[in-house]
Amino acid sequence: MIRTVGGRLLGSLAAIFGASVVSFLFLRILPGNPARLILGPLASQQAIQQQVRLMGLDRPIYVQYLRYISSFFSGDWGFSYSNGRPVREVIATRLPASIELGLYAFAFAFVAAVVLALLSTYRHRPVVDGTVRAISFFGLGTPPFWFGLLLLLAFSQALHLLPGPEGRLGPAVAPPPTVTGLYTVDAVIAGQWGTLGNALQHLVLPAVTLGLAPFAYLVRLLRVNLLEVSREQFITVVRSKGVGRWTAYVRHALPNAFLPTLTAGGMVLAQLLAGSVLVETVFNWPGVGALVVDSILRQDYAVVQTFILLSAFAYVALNLIVDVLYGVIDPRVRTPTGAR
Amino acid sequence: MDEVLLSVRGLRTEFVTRDGVFAAVRDVSFELRRGEKLGIVGESGSGKSALALSIVGLIEPPGRVVAGEVELNGRRISGLPDRQLQLVRGKEVGLIFQDPMAALDPVKSIGDQIVEGIRRHRRHLGRREARRLAIELLREVQVPFAERRLADYPHQYSGGMRQRVMIAIALANEPDLIIADEPTTALDVTTQAQVLDLLDRLVSERRTAIILITHNLGIVAEFCDSVHVMYAGRFVERTTVEQLFRAQAHPYTEALLRSVPRPDRLQRGPLPSIPGFPPSLAHLPPGCSFAPRCPAAQEICRDRAPATVELVSESTPVLAECHFARERLRT
Ligand SMILES: Nc1ncnc2c1ncn2[C@@H]1O[C@H](COP(=O)(O)OP(=O)(O)OP(=O)(O)O)[C@@H](O)[C@H]1O
Ligand code: SF4
Ligand SMILES: [Mg+2]
Repeated sequence: MIRTVGGRLLGSLAAIFGASVVSFLFLRILPGNPARLILGPLASQQAIQQQVRLMGLDRPIYVQYLRYISSFFSGDWGFSYSNGRPVREVIATRLPASIELGLYAFAFAFVAAVVLALLSTYRHRPVVDGTVRAISFFGLGTPPFWFGLLLLLAFSQALHLLPGPEGRLGPAVAPPPTVTGLYTVDAVIAGQWGTLGNALQHLVLPAVTLGLAPFAYLVRLLRVNLLEVSREQFITVVRSKGVGRWTAYVRHALPNAFLPTLTAGGMVLAQLLAGSVLVETVFNWPGVGALVVDSILRQDYAVVQTFILLSAFAYVALNLIVDVLYGVIDPRVRTPTGAR
Repeated sequence: MDEVLLSVRGLRTEFVTRDGVFAAVRDVSFELRRGEKLGIVGESGSGKSALALSIVGLIEPPGRVVAGEVELNGRRISGLPDRQLQLVRGKEVGLIFQDPMAALDPVKSIGDQIVEGIRRHRRHLGRREARRLAIELLREVQVPFAERRLADYPHQYSGGMRQRVMIAIALANEPDLIIADEPTTALDVTTQAQVLDLLDRLVSERRTAIILITHNLGIVAEFCDSVHVMYAGRFVERTTVEQLFRAQAHPYTEALLRSVPRPDRLQRGPLPSIPGFPPSLAHLPPGCSFAPRCPAAQEICRDRAPATVELVSESTPVLAECHFARERLRT
């Protein structure tokens, strides 16, 4: 699989261009006047006239598109009427919460998937394998909403081990001074260990809830690939050198089996970062998922538009990172094939 | 005569499949002396690879060695826990496999894969020292520009070059025994010859004993001292190479030789086929397992499995599993 750098960049640009066109057309293909959609149902006729001119809606469509793109890149993402604030501010208050939750959910899903896939395929142990497969089956089929409630009932209501649906911090805890917006990181930067602990406690249940389905998906993928690779002859060759079973497995089978999981992992992470309205609702998490759904319901399309474009950037960026990591693991990507 | 290096007694390996349990290696016994070159020939599926892996304890589920003893250098290695077998593998026994394309880890460099074997058994060696040894080994197996090619990956090597790397890995710790399972089958004819000559020279120099598994009687004729013919999980004939080409005690051996078009100039290439199919190991006939395909089969062959007959032909010992082996050699 040889992907040239030029080809990758071209693909990324195409993806971003496509997303920008979609988010641009989003406002224009919806029924009704975009100016009215943006200003909301209560705006006066005069205000709408003004908005039409302001948005350049009376200009040719490609001019409108270019204006839209250039203002996006200059940081002007429009105005959110339902929040009464610029879209950028609105998103800036919500996005870090989603990113933090997404990262922890991803870490959980990824680490758990690797560990369980290794355990389930290492040697021929039907009981372990069966258990892992059952967990993964359960994970893929369980609605996160229901699973989140279940976790809350068990660990918060019944056992009092973890906090209930209070959002990112307990009611008596103040957020750490903002640097990244991720409370756990900011707490470490500020040296506020109590806040760090509190933030982590609040992350456990939502992260597990959000990460369950991706975990199930990744464990299933990695399991199949591990089974396949461990039957390959080079594993026997490694063993014939006197290397132990587990070492051969982790040092040789895992890296080879890992490649498809890496690609899938990038997509999973992009999805997790975009937030999930169901999980955010259950745990009162102030993320972008709920924001976007709210905005759609209130026809506050400037927010939705920005969200689409930002997601596209996240996907493209993660894809590039995955490509780089792929090259680190797989020499066939970085060096040309050529029998010498 | 040299001392015995490897002694295998009653080795039996079974596979559990959906169709039931069957033995791929059926109570095989043989001995190998220091420096001896033994060829094992037989059709596909006769159990050659299973035997090779059973000797060094590398049979993985659904397979299992269920009986037998393996002694190497006078020490019993069968039934040892894997941790102790690891010290034998790669140190006292080196393995070479059939498909060089599949035998190397695609994401690790050639150097790392050679060094892994060296350092597994010589832990006191530093990285640098081990790499120096790896370069030396690559030179010995005649990989050009050894020093530069150490950092390359398998996909940058040709099939023949990879097989040289495999030989280097097998020889890395100067083992007493090499088991080479069809080491040249996947290569083109010219490369086959080069790799075989190289292997021959290296094991002769070191007086390393070798078990060479092959489909190809031509290779046996050129390379080996003695030869065992395997059929349906058993050795049906065991003798020297000279004797084998002179007269065949077992009808299967004869069929094997007949199927080579010009016995005077044995061609390199796969074994031409013998009429009929190898028996399914799950449903072996009750008597001689070759009986359904044997042109000389009699009533008794279908009822009773032949015992091993020990013979001497022109002062060469021959072991054969055929009711009529004695008569066949006399005529
Ligand atoms: N992992 C396995 N699972 C089930 N059966 C197996 C397995 N490995 C080998 N066998 C069976 O064991 C028998 C002997 O196989 P083996 O690979 O030893 O044959 P071989 O003589 O090496 O053949 P070839 O010349 O094709 O390499 C065959 O019937 C094969 O189907
Ligand atoms: S025992 Fe009978 S069937 Fe078997 S090889 Fe000898 S002659 Fe043929
Ligand atoms: Mg084989």
